[in-house]
Amino acid sequence: MVVIRGTKPTRAVLIALRRRIKVAQTGHELLKMKRDGLMVEFFEVLNKARTVRKELVDALIKAEQRLNIAKATEGTVTINSVAYALQKEPAIELSSRNIMGVVVPKITADSVQKKIFERGYGIIGTSSAIDEAADAYETLVDKVVIAAEVETVLIRLVKDIESTKRRVNALEFKVIPDIRDTIRFISFALEEMDRDSIVRLKKLKGKAQKRARAEEAKRAAEAVAAGVA
Amino acid sequence: MPVLRLPKFGKPVKYAYITGRVRAMKTKLIPGEMYQRMMAMDVSEIARYLEETQYKDEIDTLSKDYSGTELIEHATFANLAKIYGKLLAVSIDEPSFLILEYLRRWDIWNIKTILRGKFYGADETEIAKYLVPAGELNMEYLSELAKKESIQEVISALEGSDLAPALANYDGKSLAPIENALDKLYYFRMERAVGGTLSVGGGLLLKYVRKEIDIKNLITLFRMNKAGVEASIIQENLIPGGKLYEDLNRLAGQPFGEFLRSLEGYPFWSSISDIATPDIEAISRVEARLKAYLIRYAWALSNYHPLSILPVLGYMVSKETEVSNIRKIVRGKEAGLPAELIEEQVVVA
Repeated sequence: MVVIRGTKPTRAVLIALRRRIKVAQTGHELLKMKRDGLMVEFFEVLNKARTVRKELVDALIKAEQRLNIAKATEGTVTINSVAYALQKEPAIELSSRNIMGVVVPKITADSVQKKIFERGYGIIGTSSAIDEAADAYETLVDKVVIAAEVETVLIRLVKDIESTKRRVNALEFKVIPDIRDTIRFISFALEEMDRDSIVRLKKLKGKAQKRARAEEAKRAAEAVAAGVA
Repeated sequence: MPVLRLPKFGKPVKYAYITGRVRAMKTKLIPGEMYQRMMAMDVSEIARYLEETQYKDEIDTLSKDYSGTELIEHATFANLAKIYGKLLAVSIDEPSFLILEYLRRWDIWNIKTILRGKFYGADETEIAKYLVPAGELNMEYLSELAKKESIQEVISALEGSDLAPALANYDGKSLAPIENALDKLYYFRMERAVGGTLSVGGGLLLKYVRKEIDIKNLITLFRMNKAGVEASIIQENLIPGGKLYEDLNRLAGQPFGEFLRSLEGYPFWSSISDIATPDIEAISRVEARLKAYLIRYAWALSNYHPLSILPVLGYMVSKETEVSNIRKIVRGKEAGLPAELIEEQVVVA
């Protein structure tokens, strides 16, 4: 039995502890539900992350291949020259959303996918291999943004599941048993104190009765002595 | 469009000397069967082989700045610029004029690179790495242009030149309009210049230039129709001129399947019919076939009149194709591209 250190075995403390154990038990239930909910969410996000990661790898392989074809057909000299003409760089916007109390980022990218004539270079003097490489890299950037969001959500969920699990375990195996033990301890102590006071009262009562009997005997003896005289 | 004042040349124009020089220079080109052997070599073996060819000097000179595929690519471009410079140096009168008009594409290329570099904010040494002085403008002039602080300064420096009208429309936001204007100006000049020659072979050269414009426009249509761009925007990107301009102009903005059906029956269709399907993923394959078709057309024309500009055109196209083939093989091998893909891109006579 582990009693919470410094606890005074009083009725007020007992009432407070009973109230506390109710809160702890409710909290425990809620945290267990949160943990289970987060786990369900985690597996959903995990599946999504797997798909997104696969798509990302595929997009990367495709983009590299397209760039290599463009390098081969047009040469790095052309590719580097054309790359200078980039008109608008993609902008990333960060906001947040809430999944069961876990704040996760929401990443949106702007100006990633461009139309063929919006890339800044002239169409006549360039080739379709460059379009295809640019297109593949734009898709890749989109996938990177999605993967960044999904994988950050996954990391945040894992961290929160860990801490929720620790809280549930602490409540289940430490806080609630300790409070329960302390309540039991205080209950025993109070019962003991009750028994003590009953004994004390009985003893006092016995003493009082003894004293009353002695006084009565004394009064009777005095009355007998007065009659004789 | 500016009016091009054509120089007047006395008749008959003598092509014997320049065609003789070209015949001699042609012997130094890499033979067609060598590409197959190069496909089986690794990059260092290809570099060693190129050291035994006319690329030796450029490889030796540039080996302190570059290595591997970078070295081969820069060396082949440097050699191309040297050879074209030599062609210009050994030609006079009309051949010189026509060669220069043809090579102005490299001036346009270099001006575009400088403008792009300035747009991006690259420094002059970085920009200089990507210049190929194979046209009229030499490296010194181009380096001076690259040293300018801004695009506006580059445009100001070119004021008074033939390129000025094309550069005047710069809106400060995108280079695409002036890049297209420069390319259109090049083809406008080329068509006018070739159209003005009365020499033997001039008509066929004009046919080639028009064919090149048609192929360029066709590639633009493939790229933009596949991307679903609206007709008016595509039409802005078509080069005026060419034999099929009106026809191609009508095909702008058509649904891709319908566009492909409309191409059936044209002379170039047989070279792309097996891969030009509505579900084609990479237009670059069609582009490679169309470019190969144009190169073969130039080679076919080059044999018509031995003492005309046509063998010179054939040589210039062959030289550019050689540089391009070497780069495709080397870059393809470096990137581990499948051999069939490299073979598809390499154009051999």
